Amino acid sequence: MKDFEYFSASSLQEACSLISQYKDVGKVLAGGQSLITLLRQKLISPTCLIDIKGLKELDYIEFDKKSGLRIGALTTHRAIEKSPLIQEKYNVLSEMEKSVASVQTRNWGTIGGNLCSADPIGDPAPSLIALGAKLKLVSAKGERIVALEEFFTDYFTTIIEPDEILAEIQMPPPAPNTAVEYMKFSTIEAGIKIVSTSVAITVEAGSDVCKDAKIVMSAVAPIPLVTKKAAEMLKGKKLTDDVIEEAAKMAASETDPTSDVHASAEYRKEIVKVLVKRAIKKAFEKAKKA
Amino acid sequence: MNGSKKTINVKVNGESYELSIKPKMTLLQLLRNELGLTGTKQACMDNSCGACTVIVNKMAVKACSVLAMQVNGKEVTSVEGLASRDGKLTPLQEAFLEHSAFQCGFCTPGKLMSSTAMLEEMSDPTEEDVRRDMEGNLCRCTGYVQYLAAIMAVVRQRKEGSK
Amino acid sequence: MNERSVVGKPLPRVDGKAKLTGKAKFTTDVVLPGMLHAKLLRSPLPHAKIRSIDTSKAEKLPGVVAVITGKDTWGIRYGFVDTPNYPAEERPIAEDKVRFIGETVAAVAAIDPDTAEDALDLIEVDYDPLPPVFDPVEAMKDGAPQIHGEITRTTSCAWEDWGVARKSHSYTPVNNVAARVLVTYGDVEKGFAEADYVREDRSRSPGTSHMAMEPHTMVASWDPFEQKLDVWMNHMAYELKRYWLHKTLDIPITKIRIHKTYVGGAFGGKAPCYDYEVICGFLARKLCKPIKIELTREEVFSSCRNSHRFDINIKTGVKKDGTIVAQHVSVIVDAGAYKCSAPVAMFLSHAMCDPCIDRKNVRHEGVAVYTNKNFNFARRGHGAPQMRLAADCQYDQICEDLGLDPVEFLLKNLRKKGDVCPNGDRLDSYGLPEAIKKSAEAIGWKEKRGKQRDKNRGVGIGINGMFSGSGYWPFACTAIVRLNHDGTITLIEGDCEFGQGADTAYSQIAAECLGLSLEDVTLISSDSELCPMNYSNFLSGGLFVGGGAVYNAAMNLREKILRVASEVMRAKPEDIELKNRAAFLKSNPKRSYTFTELMRYHIQKHLGDPLIGYGYKKAVPEIEFYPSLSKGTGRFTDAYGFTASTAEVEVDRETGRVRVLKIVVADDCGFEINTAAIKGQMVSQAVQGMGDALFEEIMDDEGRVLNPNLVDYEVPRAFDIPEIEVIDCSDYEPKGPFGGKEAGECARAAVISAVVNAIYDATGVRVMRIPVTPERMFNALKAQGK
Repeated sequence: MKDFEYFSASSLQEACSLISQYKDVGKVLAGGQSLITLLRQKLISPTCLIDIKGLKELDYIEFDKKSGLRIGALTTHRAIEKSPLIQEKYNVLSEMEKSVASVQTRNWGTIGGNLCSADPIGDPAPSLIALGAKLKLVSAKGERIVALEEFFTDYFTTIIEPDEILAEIQMPPPAPNTAVEYMKFSTIEAGIKIVSTSVAITVEAGSDVCKDAKIVMSAVAPIPLVTKKAAEMLKGKKLTDDVIEEAAKMAASETDPTSDVHASAEYRKEIVKVLVKRAIKKAFEKAKKA
Repeated sequence: MNGSKKTINVKVNGESYELSIKPKMTLLQLLRNELGLTGTKQACMDNSCGACTVIVNKMAVKACSVLAMQVNGKEVTSVEGLASRDGKLTPLQEAFLEHSAFQCGFCTPGKLMSSTAMLEEMSDPTEEDVRRDMEGNLCRCTGYVQYLAAIMAVVRQRKEGSK
Repeated sequence: MNERSVVGKPLPRVDGKAKLTGKAKFTTDVVLPGMLHAKLLRSPLPHAKIRSIDTSKAEKLPGVVAVITGKDTWGIRYGFVDTPNYPAEERPIAEDKVRFIGETVAAVAAIDPDTAEDALDLIEVDYDPLPPVFDPVEAMKDGAPQIHGEITRTTSCAWEDWGVARKSHSYTPVNNVAARVLVTYGDVEKGFAEADYVREDRSRSPGTSHMAMEPHTMVASWDPFEQKLDVWMNHMAYELKRYWLHKTLDIPITKIRIHKTYVGGAFGGKAPCYDYEVICGFLARKLCKPIKIELTREEVFSSCRNSHRFDINIKTGVKKDGTIVAQHVSVIVDAGAYKCSAPVAMFLSHAMCDPCIDRKNVRHEGVAVYTNKNFNFARRGHGAPQMRLAADCQYDQICEDLGLDPVEFLLKNLRKKGDVCPNGDRLDSYGLPEAIKKSAEAIGWKEKRGKQRDKNRGVGIGINGMFSGSGYWPFACTAIVRLNHDGTITLIEGDCEFGQGADTAYSQIAAECLGLSLEDVTLISSDSELCPMNYSNFLSGGLFVGGGAVYNAAMNLREKILRVASEVMRAKPEDIELKNRAAFLKSNPKRSYTFTELMRYHIQKHLGDPLIGYGYKKAVPEIEFYPSLSKGTGRFTDAYGFTASTAEVEVDRETGRVRVLKIVVADDCGFEINTAAIKGQMVSQAVQGMGDALFEEIMDDEGRVLNPNLVDYEVPRAFDIPEIEVIDCSDYEPKGPFGGKEAGECARAAVISAVVNAIYDATGVRVMRIPVTPERMFNALKAQGK
């Protein structure tokens, strides 16, 4: 590992001023669960790290019936997984968090750090996108709100400016007659995801008709992929097995996966079909009961 | 930008230290190289095997992936801090011994720290909880069975003890 | 001695407290004053000439102490196989040519690891790329790039030193063939002519990683005054490593001391000599400074030994009733850039197969081929898992073809207890029939086999046999048992504790022999200076040979104690028993003398002799010379361990993902010295075998390892573990200590076949290439339209 200068920010304001000062050579350090490996492998060698992990002001889970859920960017994965509030109102997040790396990583790693690392196989992004998450980005100059769907631009790349810090993840209140399901597929149980998907289904109350749908996949494109055609096709339809299967096939056709040691591109497409089908079914069943 | 040394205060296994370190030092290097606590092991260096697991403020973390600077002001427990100084093992260590829950012993300190933290956090975990929580600790020798049995034995013991 | 109180029990391990408190010293924990750290520069090309190396910039980096290249170590050769026909060709640092990505081309010693690593980036190597070849079949074709020129004899080989072999000679491999083996017995053509049914199949087992948790590490310190090298290292038998260090560094063998450290897992992968070990010793002596070399996980995957890729063509002839009458096996072993143990692996693929099934007429031919890839060594079973996959899956298919039951088929074709194998090995213990029956029963064979395909579930069976040490090398071991003042003993024996439980099992054996408890044993082990000669802890010879030597030494002390007790008590030795550090009359236990009293008496009356037991054991006592690797003749081992394994799986037909529901391991390892440790060995192999069957493969592209880390090379974790049932089917081995024999390697192979056969039962699709990853299974299902 190369040497670097280290600053520990004591407030968000200080962090913003540090990052605006060092934006060309610095990196923000949160839990570092990806960053430290990258530093060790010399894949990145910033000359300065601005440590924000200690900022209590960005560590919270708050809910309001009107405005929904707000999670501070430095909330750990484990805190989200174990939060009774999230388990009750956004259970998919709690379930999804169980798939994030290991307990040790979830204990130290933060949700904001995870999103900013923009790993195409990251667990949280698909579910958060399916839930309609928005991000609050702050800098010394001010703040802006962006949809998580618009956040990622390429492998390990986001729209975040070098002087910005991700401060908060926001989600609307749980929609009625809606369920969100997360499913992953890997060779070993806790292995690298070959494909994962999060599906949100809203049904017309008391019917089998799909009112709204969102299908998000990871590991099949450089960024979390939000299907357009497949979700659109479900809307207004009775969710029969045939319709669901058709949507899953359509979702697969929208992906552009690559081959690696874990799976070929062709196989990933096949798995998308199965996983999306299963996730729609499960979400559909739950939505009917919701 | 020379990575000049910084001072941290950290409590390790009950002892308070003031140390001057390079910012790039990981918690694992701090324990092994600065303090000579070599019970915490290095096996993968990419946050995947769990052999370096220690407890920081009651949470299991992988010491290879935490900068030492980040434990400034915190309490760290490594495997050396489990048994009492006069040689009394913890119930979990006793269970490991009784169930032959280890072989080469290289991943054992990490497993002990993970499961110690888990048993602190969860009062009555099921076997499935235990397996899921131990996903982060890789073992090549044991095949996990006897080690999971040791943890479950402590869970049962504790339940019986509290009755 | 009839009632056993220490052996046969699940006693806590003697290394337990050290390992549970962080006190246990592994090589990676060794720190010496003034120690430098060395890092190795690895070749980025699979095959290239080295035109020049410029180390000047690296040498100037502050903190760098020395940079060495092949020029410094030119001419040093070593190898696991170092025989008259096949002299060693490995070298610590590439000289004029690199042969695989990851081969060492230079080494830097510096004040800390980061500085050494930074210096590597400053070394400039001018390569002239050569055409590489990666596939063994391609490599054997005329016109393929030749990886080795003439392999010249540089130092005398070990066998020559021991006076049992002729001088090695130089040779030039033709078409990259590193070695060949041809074993035949019976009349194969006649056998096939008599067969009612003949089947031919192909299987492939990939290269896999041992994945021991402790990355390979060594620390060496040179004492310039004594001209002596002190070493702490990852090994499985210090005699092997010490011998290689002695030969490669030209240091007298007694001027090298290998100190005891615990070894963080081995599984075969830490036995051979490594480049970094020679370099570490070389630098320590050159700089007169302690040197530590700690390999990274990536280096372990890309530059340390992995298991051999085997491609096997197997043809078997059977009678209608399933009786095997002939078998022809052709094995192609992908050796990699250097042959290392490849000649042994392809020989063992026959030798370990032979005691299980009586195939009557056999032709087993093998070729080991050089390729421009990292090279390989034994991993838990050394050739047996690869061979068993081919054989057991074919037997399973033959049964399907002929409407036979695989369990009945195996039972029909087994050898029998007391049989003498064609090479002369005698099966004095043979628990395999019982293991097959019990493993089948435990999985619910009768109710489930062929009856659960509608549920995508199936069961399968596999078997294996494994040496308990062998006739190679001077495979023998010595032990000393010292009686102490307080009536306790000190056991001195060389075997290394790498997780298998040697320290505990040997202490139990010694205690049992003398009527002591485990706490009465102080152990001195795994130190080349303190322990007597020791070649036993590989090829699963530890318990049988090392433990046998301990048994003999302790029994020798027992005899001596009985003799002095009989003198003191004026009773016959057979009327005296030893218990709780005392000798007493069987007929009148109150009449007793403590060991302390007997020892004092003996010192007074017998010229100061404090009573020391001494014992030894040779792996195969009857042979004087070594069996032939290339012809497969001569004795192999004195006792085989056996396993039968069954498995139940469920296959997700939509994704191809296989889930193992249950694994049964029924094992004959002879008398179980420590029942908890034996269970640990069996579970361990069940899980490793499952990993082999479903997940594990070193993947490469043009010679570059694509998954050299624990994220991308996936091994089973806690949540992947199925129900595992271990059944003791031990058959008393009369030549082993208390009837014990091999326990650590046999089961893995049987588990692999069991899982793969269960997949067939679940799906009707035969996959004979492992690992059966979800994608491979998916494609196989698709290809067969199922």
